[in-house]
Amino acid sequence: MSSRDAVVYKTPLSRIWTIFTVIFIAFYLLWTLLPLVIMTFSSFKDLLAAFQLPPVGAFSEIGLFFNFTPTTKHYYNLFVNLGFTTYFLNSIIAAGGSAIISVVLGSMCAYALSRYEFRGKSDLFFWIISTRMAPVVAVLVPLYAIFRGMDLIGTQAGLILAFTTFNLPFAIWILKGFFDNVPYAIEEASMVDGSTRFQAFRAILPLVAPGIGAFVILCILFAWNDFLFASIIGSGGAKTLPPATVELVQPQNIQWGSIMAAGVITTLPMMLLGLLIRRYLVTGLTMGAVRE
Amino acid sequence: MALVTITNVWKYYGKTVAVKDLNITCKDGEFVSVLGPSGCGKSSTLRMLAGLEHISAGDIRFGDTRVNDLEPKDRDIAMVFENYALYPHKTVYENMANPLRLRNESEDTIKKRIAFAAEMLEIEYLLQRKPMELSGGQKQRTAIGRAIVREPKLFLFDEPIAHLDAKLRARMRGELKIMQRRLGTTMIYVTHDQLEAMSMADRIAVMNNGVLQQFGTPQEIYNHPVNEWVAGFVGEPPMNFIDCDLIEEGGGFYAVHSAFKVAVPADQAAKLRGALKSSGVRMGIRPDQMAISLGQEGAAKGSIKITEPLGGDTLVDVDLKGAHHVLVKTDADFRGQMNNSCSLNFDTSRWHFFSKETGVAYF
Repeated sequence: MSSRDAVVYKTPLSRIWTIFTVIFIAFYLLWTLLPLVIMTFSSFKDLLAAFQLPPVGAFSEIGLFFNFTPTTKHYYNLFVNLGFTTYFLNSIIAAGGSAIISVVLGSMCAYALSRYEFRGKSDLFFWIISTRMAPVVAVLVPLYAIFRGMDLIGTQAGLILAFTTFNLPFAIWILKGFFDNVPYAIEEASMVDGSTRFQAFRAILPLVAPGIGAFVILCILFAWNDFLFASIIGSGGAKTLPPATVELVQPQNIQWGSIMAAGVITTLPMMLLGLLIRRYLVTGLTMGAVRE
Repeated sequence: MALVTITNVWKYYGKTVAVKDLNITCKDGEFVSVLGPSGCGKSSTLRMLAGLEHISAGDIRFGDTRVNDLEPKDRDIAMVFENYALYPHKTVYENMANPLRLRNESEDTIKKRIAFAAEMLEIEYLLQRKPMELSGGQKQRTAIGRAIVREPKLFLFDEPIAHLDAKLRARMRGELKIMQRRLGTTMIYVTHDQLEAMSMADRIAVMNNGVLQQFGTPQEIYNHPVNEWVAGFVGEPPMNFIDCDLIEEGGGFYAVHSAFKVAVPADQAAKLRGALKSSGVRMGIRPDQMAISLGQEGAAKGSIKITEPLGGDTLVDVDLKGAHHVLVKTDADFRGQMNNSCSLNFDTSRWHFFSKETGVAYF
């Protein structure tokens, strides 16, 4: 097999382009990483130290930024006094729960939509995605009324249900695309081998792993970062990290240190998840099983 | 092992008819090849046997069991697909173990059966590899291995070697035939390559446009084709067809063309009597059933258009007087040149006559 990379020859233009690309990436890194760095450092600083800033333009005094005694008192405050342990667990349960339900239901539904022909299939398919077209705010009030009628306000179950209603259509759309790319012959081979339809479906699941990986990330990210549902449907019993963080902004006292620390503990798990699941995302799809 | 009976089977896709009123019986342990061009319904037939397609009408029986409503897993068949359809995330060993695991066989049995199959197919050294790391031929062997570990009642092969290169294909033909004889399992083998069908099968079912044309041994198909289509499809290089008139003269029959007038042997004349009244017949003769000579002494006169020496023998394209050209297979030492005049002698014991209107063979 020949190399997949196209042969590229250097020209003056391409050199300029390379330099431009490097500069662009440098600025982009600064733009994305700086807030995270400031947040992380500030979370370990005393309030006074956090607001010690060098004068504008005085780059020689940048060391001032790193000149502090690290303290974990903000983290201690969050977990011991403010009950962030519960909120953290709530976030995990809500995000994880909705991701699992969405993956299970979504993959089965996507499989059916990918493999079977039936009347009104395209209409059904469009209807599924149309539920994602309205902004969350637009449906929040009626949803609140419905959830209150079912006693789901302030419960984990309610929050998971709310996230799932928004994640499921997305799951179906993403996963259908992946199932469409799996050759039908592999399931047929599996059925001839002696599996039932459901076993054949399970046999091809490893082939859509990249799709499932991608979707799990998106689904958890949505639930983890969500503020609207979490503050309105989850308020009280199922409070997650974002609404809990907002409560640190009080009229008399904005607890900057704790807010930074809350920011760190909200961001960190998502970064780890991204690293963990990355290898699924880059795995080839059918890995050469079938002659194309 | 099983007797397979296909009775009056039809297959529709919407309003399109893929298979028309098919009747085939495969004896126990027989190697049957279904031969036809693409779109002739041969794959649909195989998929109906496998249970991957519904049977629109008719019955398929394995032994005494009607299998129309059985799922693939309950039919005790094994199938090899044209594109191999291996599980990409599993090793060769696990690919072959899959059908056994689905039947809850013990690890011991699995190991034993895979060792047997791997040895037969010479893929022992590949067992721990994944399909991605295999060549086409190795993938195809793995797919066959997955089929034979099952020890099924019936093998269904869907053009399994169509994608291999010519050399490997020739080798696999022999190996598949040996494998089938050794296992003694009934095999239905779909192909569009007449050479594969002729060289491997006990009997061949030739299909065209969803209709079974002829079902018989390779010799029957080759020597006694039932119609012009079968005659033209089977054999390489293909049979020559020459439109000619049939006349009765002095008690004998003659095939008459602007280039020749050849007497029909007496035993054939009886079968051709019905053709006298029709507007003409089509004579069919294979390239190796004619003798070519330079000069004009032979029965049919013409000139050489081109010669193609193939090493072992030579193909000569001959322009007959009056618009027809025929392909003749002759010895390698034939010395004819382009535009030389030449003549042909037909082996009248082996030629065929077909009706010009219906294509049906008189003999």
